[in-house]
Amino acid sequence: MQPSNLHRLSQWPCQDILFCLTANQQGNRIWFGSSDAGVYQLDLNEEKPSRQKLQGEGHTSYVTSIANCGHSLVTGGYDRKLIWWDAESGNQIRRIQAHEKWIRRVIVTPDSKHVLSVADDMQCRLWDAATGQQVAEFTDHAEMTPHHYPSMLYAVAVSPEGSHFATGDKVGHVAIWDAQTLQKVAELETPVMYTWDPKQRRHSIGGIRSVAFSSDGRRLAVGGIGKIGNIDHLGGPARLEVFDWHSGERQLELEDTKWKGLIEQIVWGPDDQWILTTGGDHKGFTTFYDAKSGELVHQEQQPGHVHALWHDDAYESLFLASHKQLSHWSMREKEA
Amino acid sequence: MNASNNPSLSRRSWMRLAGTASAATLASDLSGLEALGSPELSQSLRHSGKRVILLWLAGGASQLETWDPKPGRATGGPFSKIQTSVPGIEISELLPKMSSRLKETAIIRSLNTKIADHGNAYQLMDTGRIAEPSLKFPHLGAMIAHELGQRDSQVPDYVSMYTSTEGRRQGTAGFLGGRYNPMFLTDQMMPANIKRLERISDVDHRDRAELRNLMASIFERKNTHPMYDAHNSAYERVRGLMASDHLFDIDREPQSTRNHYGPTQFGQQCLIARRLIEAGVPFVKVARAWWDSHGQNFETHQELCADLDHCMAALLDDLKSRGLLDSTLVITLGEFGRTPTINGSLGRDHFASAWSCTLSGCGIQGGTVFGKTDEDGQKVAEGEMNAGDLFATIFAALGIDHHKEYMVGSRPIPIADFDSEPCHDILV
Amino acid sequence: MVRQLLSVFASLLLALTASATSPQELAREIDRLIDANCPKELQADLINESAFIRRVTLDLAGRIPTASELMAFRDSDSLTKREDVIERLIESVDFTFHHRNELDTLLLRRLEHNDKWRGFLLEATQENRSWDHLFRQIMVPEDGEDTRPAAFLRKRLRDLDSTTNDSSIIWFGVNIGCAKCHDHPLVEDWTQEHYYGLASFFKRTYQTRAGSVGERFDGSINYTTVYGESLKSKFMFLTGTTLPEPDLKLAENELKEIAAAIKKVEREDKAPAAPRPEFRPRSQLVEAALSDTEQDFFARNIANRLWARMFGRGLIHPLDQGHSENPPSHPDLLDVLARDLRDHGFDMRRTLQAMALSNTYARGAHAVDPPPEKLFASSLPRPLSPHQYSLSLLIASSDPNKTLGLESDLDWDRHREELERRSESVARQLEIPEDGFQVSVTETLWFSNHPQIQSDYLQPRKDRLVGFLTSLESDEDIVRTAMRSVLSRDPSSEELEAMTSYLQDRTDRRDDAIGQIVWAMFSSPEFRFNH
Repeated sequence: MQPSNLHRLSQWPCQDILFCLTANQQGNRIWFGSSDAGVYQLDLNEEKPSRQKLQGEGHTSYVTSIANCGHSLVTGGYDRKLIWWDAESGNQIRRIQAHEKWIRRVIVTPDSKHVLSVADDMQCRLWDAATGQQVAEFTDHAEMTPHHYPSMLYAVAVSPEGSHFATGDKVGHVAIWDAQTLQKVAELETPVMYTWDPKQRRHSIGGIRSVAFSSDGRRLAVGGIGKIGNIDHLGGPARLEVFDWHSGERQLELEDTKWKGLIEQIVWGPDDQWILTTGGDHKGFTTFYDAKSGELVHQEQQPGHVHALWHDDAYESLFLASHKQLSHWSMREKEA
Repeated sequence: MNASNNPSLSRRSWMRLAGTASAATLASDLSGLEALGSPELSQSLRHSGKRVILLWLAGGASQLETWDPKPGRATGGPFSKIQTSVPGIEISELLPKMSSRLKETAIIRSLNTKIADHGNAYQLMDTGRIAEPSLKFPHLGAMIAHELGQRDSQVPDYVSMYTSTEGRRQGTAGFLGGRYNPMFLTDQMMPANIKRLERISDVDHRDRAELRNLMASIFERKNTHPMYDAHNSAYERVRGLMASDHLFDIDREPQSTRNHYGPTQFGQQCLIARRLIEAGVPFVKVARAWWDSHGQNFETHQELCADLDHCMAALLDDLKSRGLLDSTLVITLGEFGRTPTINGSLGRDHFASAWSCTLSGCGIQGGTVFGKTDEDGQKVAEGEMNAGDLFATIFAALGIDHHKEYMVGSRPIPIADFDSEPCHDILV
Repeated sequence: MVRQLLSVFASLLLALTASATSPQELAREIDRLIDANCPKELQADLINESAFIRRVTLDLAGRIPTASELMAFRDSDSLTKREDVIERLIESVDFTFHHRNELDTLLLRRLEHNDKWRGFLLEATQENRSWDHLFRQIMVPEDGEDTRPAAFLRKRLRDLDSTTNDSSIIWFGVNIGCAKCHDHPLVEDWTQEHYYGLASFFKRTYQTRAGSVGERFDGSINYTTVYGESLKSKFMFLTGTTLPEPDLKLAENELKEIAAAIKKVEREDKAPAAPRPEFRPRSQLVEAALSDTEQDFFARNIANRLWARMFGRGLIHPLDQGHSENPPSHPDLLDVLARDLRDHGFDMRRTLQAMALSNTYARGAHAVDPPPEKLFASSLPRPLSPHQYSLSLLIASSDPNKTLGLESDLDWDRHREELERRSESVARQLEIPEDGFQVSVTETLWFSNHPQIQSDYLQPRKDRLVGFLTSLESDEDIVRTAMRSVLSRDPSSEELEAMTSYLQDRTDRRDDAIGQIVWAMFSSPEFRFNH
């Protein structure tokens, strides 16, 4: 479980871009979403695992997020749809038009009863995981950026006890919600995540791409990218901000200029010892920070931009979904 | 442009006029100074009332996210395509407003211009030919100003707006001479030096100019040369240009019109362009920079296409409702397109082998698509066009003979590059 | 075709007698050969003293004359005053600056403003360095210690076509750019072989990190003809002469070491000097171009360029169209000038002096129906260069009693240097006039409305013309003084009346009105051009 133990077990190169993944608790069966609009399953128990496409009408654009509800999986995509799949049979259960614009992230509550989705229509919607009925919708995110262009709502997270949600958008605004009342209980600003270039190129780049509660639920980590000089490229520092969200105090503000790019996902380690971030620009990274001091603990460069990460409860087995690659990692000590 | 100083050549042009020579040979001698020197002759050749607005998508917009979508292909990206108001024509979902206004617009999907670095591609797409080290070719705006402008026009005849600093290049009249250089607007939307200094009253400013004219005319009693004429003409245009300052002031537009164009800078500049065109300016370029989306191509196009879609649609609507669209050609073009292949930063890189542009309005058969790319957009499959062909098409749409030649020294330079042909399929 | 052309030149040269011994003789030869081509009745009269001193001061000093220079010239009784003033101007500090600016414009255009390079050129004009010497220094800068002349190549090396074309145009008066992709469509002389032949001399040149250039040991160009044939370029000069390259007797590992050493000097500031090959194509080109048998292009080009500078168009025109289908207007005259340059060590000062001494130079303009320009029967207008214009504005707007000029100002050298410096920022904003130059509205709007015009040239301040004029009582004196300072002549009665009445209508704002009449003079074509 030491970050420095991180080592790769296997990798599966492919032609498509993999945006999201999840796995069963044993970590021997994984599902992932692709730029070819497919949702795939990979069974590692097979001698020569090969990806199998889940059957059904499916998505018609990039599959950007996947939530594992146990018996079922819920995927969301740029086609604005949420699709429920039977995890065992791989059959499509339900397909609904869930948002008006691109769906960016789908998560499941710890009790597996609800699913949350965020999209570029700037809404966060709460769904009954079993029936697919919409339970509620809420937002605190403006549709337009201050510069009159459509904004985007990339990130959503739920606290480990399921008591709070957090949503984060393109211009760096974070809202924290009471999961019972769906009232906003706090808000945070991370303006550095959003770069507007008023002079050279006259458009924007960046945005909050990931949020994650600490295991005690008190702290919120927000990931994205810092200020970018030339916004033609993702050439800005990978940026992480950590807040005590009750007080609004920003406890950590970290930027990595060695491996640059977007932080696409954040994982708090056991007992909140460290924070794992992953993402990238043309290439990718997995970077561990000490959750208290912010010190960079360990870092691996990845061959492609990492879009998503899954880990088991013991933090021993990790899967990465990347640009044209899927890979399997371990944090156990290497056997001699 | 020396030949134009040569009286014998000038006489030849008159003789040709008297005969039945084609407009092309006639016009060959009518460039630059000589046109100024013989206003009667040149005025008769003017194509009255035709105008051009160039929406310049600097940095290179993606054809796949605009006019030539390939949804469902590995190269297609995440966006879907939408049906337009013209049956059978589909464009990217990022252009919903344009999709309902495609009747005025022709899409060209088969540009293969080969050059994929910004500097040289910009030269190519702004002059219609490959640069030569020792000859300064005029940019499109200068040629249009030369062909469509009025000699004594009280308004500018080539206005170029380019606010963002990336890729900003002024544009030049090249061998056509400074008379056709652009009035170039960058930081402010009011041209430089167009306002009178407070220190001098309007009456004194005018009388001072008249005194100058007197001095010049006394000098020219004993000295004649087209260069003196050009000098005087440039001074005589000062007061007219100063009086056209209101054209750049969109506060004079009703709030409803300003709302129609929207709050973005590109929208405001499109509105200025419409005001200029309406007042008789023959060529206005509005640059929208910077589309060079090596990273985050899809996010970038969500912003920039929203701007393009809204402003281009607003401009076409406004021109149409004012009865100006039949005489105004709107060109939407950049220096190249973007790679079908999507890179690790979800970006697209420079690509000049198979990309798109549009022509709307004057002389254009709207609601048409010309050319085709292969299913992944990697190559032109049908109707390949190069920069010269595009320029020939632009000239043809405006009623300018694309075979027309300028003489640079003893060298004839055709207005559209050698061997180029207009695309008749999209011309009225 | 080239060979035919050359044999014609050669026979012409043989027919000529020995070249002139003095600039005066050369001037007479110029007039003889111009007159021979032009009926007397077509020729314009010679200009008067005021017009002459303005023209020649602009051409040799790069600025208009000061009012005191104008008056001194007009008041002189000397029979040789034109000759004297030409000699004085050409030996003045003014000439060294002006000639430097002209050479800078010719050689570097506006690829960059490079003070070190300009310093190098100034030293060259100060010691009247010959054109062939400059050619060697600039084209083979690595032969000397001085890296400053390398700027010419350095600014072009990124693009072999630019290096080839610009070198060909600037040094040989030949534009072969069209022959790159196919044999020249209009000019039989120039084939792809010529183009790549010339380009191959530059192919091996590289730039060092320390700011100079070097040459590799190998490298040639393969090109495809329009017929699809693949060819390897030869080292071929414009005349068609090819230079054989000796076999390279180096082992592969030696070549590798050399390549590594070159890579090092390309990348590192203080890398040890890389080895130089024995066969150095650029030096070969320079020596070939200067050799007795091949020198025509080089000599005729500079003769033609100096002629165009003084007379408003080339004997070969355009200046980069030296080929058989664009013959010179006066082939014999061009040969005389080229030969004189050769015989006198490519002394540009001598040629310019002779040109200024000729009657052809001193002709006026035709009011109507000017004869063809190529007869040089009348003077042709030349737009002031950015430096000429900027300097002339400064001179004209100075207090005429304080800016005296050559002779009267003992401290003129220092004063002139300061004017040179002060003229720089405005000069840099102005367009370099090319053939068929047209003043743009950008310039006229700037001159009409920019605060800098008011503050730099029209303010009624001490030390300034307008300030001095406000101290004068009589309106006529004001107009006359202003005319002499700005337009280097006296006003006509019509002008006098128009301007005095302008002032009389504005007695309540006299200072402003004086500034306005001065502005009207500045903005007249009479000021903007050398005529």
